[in-house]
Amino acid sequence: MAASLISAHPFGEAYAAKAGTASGGRWAELQRAARAEIARGLPGPQHEEWRFTPLTALARVGFIPAAAADDVDVTTVPSDVPRIEGATRVVLVNGVYRADLSDTATDIEIASFAPNDATGQIALAELPLVALNTAYVTGGVTIAAKRPTTRTVHLISIGASGSQPLAFHPRIVVTAAAGASLTVVETHIGLPGQPFFANTVIEVDVAEDATVRRYVAVIEDGDAFHIATSGVAVAARGTYESFHLGLGGHRASGTVRQEIHARLNGEAARVQLGGVYALGGESHHDFTTVITHHAPGASSQQLFKGVLDGKSHGVYQGRVQVLQTAQKTDARQLHKALFLTAGPEVDVKPELEIAADDVQCAHGATTGSIDPDHLFFLAARGIDEPTARGLLVEGFVADALSQVSDETARDALQQQVTAWLRKRGGAL
Amino acid sequence: MSLLEIKNLHAKVGDKEILKGISLTINAGEVHAIMGPNGTGKSTLSNVIAGRDGYDVTSGEVLLDGQNLLEMAADARARAGVFLAFQYPVEIPGVSTSAFLKTAINAKRRGEGKPDIDAVDFLKLVKAKTKALGIADDMIRRPLNVGFSGGEKKRAEVLQMTLLEPRLAVLDETDSGLDIDALKVVSEGVNSLRGPDRGFLVITHYQRLLNYIVPDYVHVMTGGRIVASGGKELAEQLEAEGYAKYQAA
Repeated sequence: MAASLISAHPFGEAYAAKAGTASGGRWAELQRAARAEIARGLPGPQHEEWRFTPLTALARVGFIPAAAADDVDVTTVPSDVPRIEGATRVVLVNGVYRADLSDTATDIEIASFAPNDATGQIALAELPLVALNTAYVTGGVTIAAKRPTTRTVHLISIGASGSQPLAFHPRIVVTAAAGASLTVVETHIGLPGQPFFANTVIEVDVAEDATVRRYVAVIEDGDAFHIATSGVAVAARGTYESFHLGLGGHRASGTVRQEIHARLNGEAARVQLGGVYALGGESHHDFTTVITHHAPGASSQQLFKGVLDGKSHGVYQGRVQVLQTAQKTDARQLHKALFLTAGPEVDVKPELEIAADDVQCAHGATTGSIDPDHLFFLAARGIDEPTARGLLVEGFVADALSQVSDETARDALQQQVTAWLRKRGGAL
Repeated sequence: MSLLEIKNLHAKVGDKEILKGISLTINAGEVHAIMGPNGTGKSTLSNVIAGRDGYDVTSGEVLLDGQNLLEMAADARARAGVFLAFQYPVEIPGVSTSAFLKTAINAKRRGEGKPDIDAVDFLKLVKAKTKALGIADDMIRRPLNVGFSGGEKKRAEVLQMTLLEPRLAVLDETDSGLDIDALKVVSEGVNSLRGPDRGFLVITHYQRLLNYIVPDYVHVMTGGRIVASGGKELAEQLEAEGYAKYQAA
């Protein structure tokens, strides 16, 4: 058992003393319980859910709470983060909502996260990184569409360390009331400097006939740690669609885990998850999904694609649970990885647990490299090899990207993939 | 100077010698057909000209406008003017026909030191050419060759040839998998490209294609060698008599 937890880590008493405590109420209780949980250790290499992404390297960094650092001063959003036309900008710096850098909106409510805003979608005991977030939550933001409206929010989360490595634990709560349609474009970036650890928890509550779309880009060119755990609940006829892009630079060695827990609670609810990761250097990216079908006639679709270069490491763990109450479920999951060199590794673990008897479920996983027949065909049309490979890689991820229903978001995500390919340049 | 000169070409796949001394000269403006039974090295010849990996040229020369093709990578040969029309064009999921065509056109233009084609000019050009070939408008928005019928794939090949305006077009069994209507359309497309600056090497098993793309010269290939050459009447004779007498020889 010892190896399933890493007991020596930076989130013990000294961290707690710097981080401070919540003042009274339900959250203070939750925080005490969470700190007791964390005191036992972080997930180690033998931990079943974390064995492909052990936090050994993370535990060695002497993180201090971002709130305790007095030498970080971010006054603007980096200029390479584009403005999305018509979208409401919401900015977090080291996990803290920054009204001074954010826009306001009249049809939705945007506010700094207050502990009582937690929707409770995520079971604490199962998820150690959510416990860590609860133990040290540093703020975050609540975005609520309380009446039918259609709104796009651009959430920009900036990680910046000063002279010491910083950790922060924001909580983001997104709720869409019946009939509302909320699109959240998320850009998670790090500024150069000491490594940081962003341990984000996102709670999403989709009411009946409501829609929430999330388009998430995590771009890591350095050696930071991004762990984002999403807990999603979808009521009857509600739709949750999310697309997650994870880019690891060609000289990067960062660790990213995008974990999504989605519950289909109401009849005919719909969940569509998509993702693309493109990794270079020694970067590490993990998609972990747990979809639970509680209600009948609901559907979940998952399509994840990975492009791996250098000595990078990709992980896909996808579990679909269909409870006995969830007849007529349609659940599909597919992961495909494309290797650009012989150096990278991929670990894939799809799981189906089906208790209902009248369901359609499918899962699959493939790995491969670029087809030499495709390369020759393109060469025979005069296209040089780096360009041909770029075209084929973009083609490989195209079907995952094409699921992004918002055209502007899709184009922006596509451009980010293209930029990643270009940076690799002639060596592709 | 000849457009294409193949001199005593020998090539192996693994340990097996497939081409055993091919010599062939094509002048600009000429259409040459190579006919022969299956397994005789016809596709190997087209692949060696185009520069596909997996073939080991042990001796001989292939010159295009005097340039030694064998020293060039496949993409450089294509930019120099070689166009291989595939027997089985590959399906490339996720890559739209339009994006592919634009990339190919720009590869050629860059090779010639020209700027990339303007987006509007590209669309106009493609629209004009697709119309002439009876290609549906939506085809160029679909992923390259994915779900295309046999006829659509070959039309797409001719479209590429039309847009890239090669010096030498090598048609590898272009007639396979085509019904008679598609064959006519494809042949008309090819015929419209015939001209004094361009040569064709048409590789086929059957004489049928040569009713539509009428060659100036016909060569019979068996056992890795060209064993007979003549005019277009040789194709008719082969259709009537078969390859038996050449294979026995």
